[in-house]
Amino acid sequence: MIVAERKPIAELTSRLAPYRRILVVGCNTCVAVCSAGGAKEVAVTSALLRIALGREHPETRVDETCVERQCEVEMNAELAPSLGNYEVILSMACGVGVQTLAEQFNTAVVIPALNTKFMGRPEGLGEWSERCAGCGNCVLERYAGVCPITRCSKNLLNGPCGGSANGRCEVDPERLPCAWQLIYDRWVALGQLDRYLTNEPAKDWSSSLHGGPRRIQREDIR
Amino acid sequence: MKPYLVLGCDRSASRALADLCRTGYVLPDEVEYRTLPCSGSLDVLYILRAFEQGFERVLVLSCNDDACRSLDGSRRAAQRSARARTLLSEVGVNPRCVSFRQISPTMAADLCIWLDEFVQPLPAEAEPEKAE
Amino acid sequence: MSPVSRLQSLLERREFTVSAELGPPKGPNIEVITTKIGLLRGMCDAVNVTDNQTAIVRISSAATCALLVQQGIEPIMQMTCRDRNRLAIQADLFGAVALGVRNLLCLSGDHQVFGNHPTAKNVFDLDSVQMIGMVKRLRDEGLTLGGEPVDGAMPMFIGGAANPFGDPFELQVLRALKKANAGVQFIQTQCIYDMVRFREWMKRVTDLGIPEHVHILAGVMPLKSAGAARYINNNVAGIYVPDPIVKRMSAAGKGQKARDEGIRITAEIIEQVREIPGVHGVHIMAVEWEEAVQPLTEMAGLLPRPVLAEGE
Repeated sequence: MIVAERKPIAELTSRLAPYRRILVVGCNTCVAVCSAGGAKEVAVTSALLRIALGREHPETRVDETCVERQCEVEMNAELAPSLGNYEVILSMACGVGVQTLAEQFNTAVVIPALNTKFMGRPEGLGEWSERCAGCGNCVLERYAGVCPITRCSKNLLNGPCGGSANGRCEVDPERLPCAWQLIYDRWVALGQLDRYLTNEPAKDWSSSLHGGPRRIQREDIR
Repeated sequence: MKPYLVLGCDRSASRALADLCRTGYVLPDEVEYRTLPCSGSLDVLYILRAFEQGFERVLVLSCNDDACRSLDGSRRAAQRSARARTLLSEVGVNPRCVSFRQISPTMAADLCIWLDEFVQPLPAEAEPEKAE
Repeated sequence: MSPVSRLQSLLERREFTVSAELGPPKGPNIEVITTKIGLLRGMCDAVNVTDNQTAIVRISSAATCALLVQQGIEPIMQMTCRDRNRLAIQADLFGAVALGVRNLLCLSGDHQVFGNHPTAKNVFDLDSVQMIGMVKRLRDEGLTLGGEPVDGAMPMFIGGAANPFGDPFELQVLRALKKANAGVQFIQTQCIYDMVRFREWMKRVTDLGIPEHVHILAGVMPLKSAGAARYINNNVAGIYVPDPIVKRMSAAGKGQKARDEGIRITAEIIEQVREIPGVHGVHIMAVEWEEAVQPLTEMAGLLPRPVLAEGE
C-alpha cells in the first residue's frame, strides 16, 4: 500500500492561515490503513486545527469528511455539492488523491496534509517499511524476492558494497538491514547462491519514472 | 462554562468521589466531572474535543493497572493521555494541561489532594534550554 | 595487449607496486595539489585521486588527474557511480583519456548521507560492476554503453575496489570474481588491519583463480592515534581495527609518538601482506596525511621506486 505521514500541524496552520472555511477530506483506502489520513486522523487533525486556528479567528470553520478512494474521480463526486461552502480543501490523501481533487475541482484550492512516503507494508504496530520503488520492470525473481533497488541504499544490482556490517546497512544501521545480506540469506536457504555469479547488466530505467511519467493503457478493459 | 474537566473511571474514581462527597466535600466550582464507563474506552479525540469546546485542563483518572476490568484499559488510557499531550503541544497547548492519575475506590483522601492541586495555577513552562 | 600505464607495466612484470592516495582540496586551490604531489613524488608508482571522497565536494578527480599528468605523476582516477549517470561517466572518461589519464578505479561511491551534501539526490544509474563492464566495452569494442562507436582509442587500465572486511563475507569474495568477469585488471582493497580476515579473503579469491588475472593491491592506512582507531571501529562500517593494534596505539601515547607508531604498524602490515601469494602491491591511504607516505615507504623497504625505461 501507499504509506504516508501527516505533516506537522504548524506547517498546516501556516498554509491554512488565510482561510476561514476549510474542508478536511480524508481517504479510506491506503492512508487509512497506515493511520495517516482515514476518518480517525481527519477527526484528530480537524480538532487540532480548530484549536490552533480558532485562537486568532474563532469564526474559522473546519469541517470533516472522508471519501472511499480519493484517487478515483467517481468517489469524489459526492463532495461537489458542498464545495461552494469552502475556501480551501485540506486533503488527507496521498499525493495521488490530492492531485485528483485538484484536477477534478478546478476552482478549488487543494492543500496536502500528508507527506506521501512510499509503497510499503507494516512492520508490526506503528512501523512501516518501503518495499517497492515502482521501477516498472520487476527484478525480484533474480534476487530471491528481495528488491535491491528499493532496499539497498545505493540500488546496487551487483552488490553488496563495503558498507555492509553484521547484516546492517551503514547508512542507518539501527533501522536498515543490508538488502544484500537478506538476498544472500535467501539464496543460501534456497540453494541458489550461484545466481550471484551472473553479472546483472546496466538496468533499463526507461520503464521507471526516469523515463518520464508513466501511463498504462489496456485495450482489453476499455 | 467550567474551565477544568475531570474524566473519571466509573469503577474507581467515581466511587472515590462519592465517598469523598459523603464527607461533605463539594467539587470546586471550576471543575466539571464526567464519568467514563471504563477509562480504556477513552479516545484521544475525546480529550481534544474537550479543548476544542473550551476546557483549559483535563485530568484523567483511571483504575490501577491490576484493577482494570478490561485488562489493559488503564494502560491504554495512559497512552492516549500521553498521545493527547503530544498532539496538543503541536498546537501550542501546554502538555501539562493534560494529566493522568491512577486511583482506587478507597483513595478518597488522595483524590481530595489531587483535585486541589488540579485547580492550582500551572507552574510556568520551563524555558527551553539554550544551546551553549 | 601492451600495457597502457606505468602501473600496469610494473604489475605485469611483477614488481611489488605502490600506489598512494591524494585527497584533492575542497576548491580550486592548485597549490594544495602541488604540495601533495611534492610529498608523493618518488614514493609510489601511481597516485589515486579520490572522487568526492566520503561524499564531500572537492575539485574534480578528472581535473586533478590532468594536473598530475602535467606534472609527471601517474594518476589513478577514481570514479564513483554516486554522482554521475552513464552519460556523464562516459563523457568524463573520454575527457580524462584525452588528457592523458590511463588508470581508472571504478567505485560505487560512499553514500551521500556521510558527506557535506546529505540532502543531495544520488544517481547510482550503474553500479561499480556495471561501470567496469562499460569501460571494458569502450576500450575493447570501441562502443559506448548505448552501442555507438567511440571516436578515438580508449587505452585504460581498469581497476576496482574490494572490501574483505565487509559482510556477507562470501559475497565479498564472489564480488571480486564478478568484477574480474566484468573486466577489472587490478583491485585495491579496503584498509587492512585484521590480517586474519584478509588472509582468509585472499585464500578464497586465490582459490577462485582471481590473482591470475587481476592484480591485488592491499590497502593500508596509517593510524594517527588510538582515538582514530576507536573512531573507525565505532563509526566506519566494514573496517575493523583489532584490539592489539588499538592497544599498541594507546601505549604509544599522543602526538608524534602515536603517529610514529601508526607508521610502524602500517610498515609491519605491509611486510605481512607482501608475503601473501597474489598480493602484487600495496595501496597507501594516508588520508589528509600525505606526509606519512615517505617515512612509511622507507620503513617498509619500498624505496626507491623502480624507473621504467623509455617506451617500456
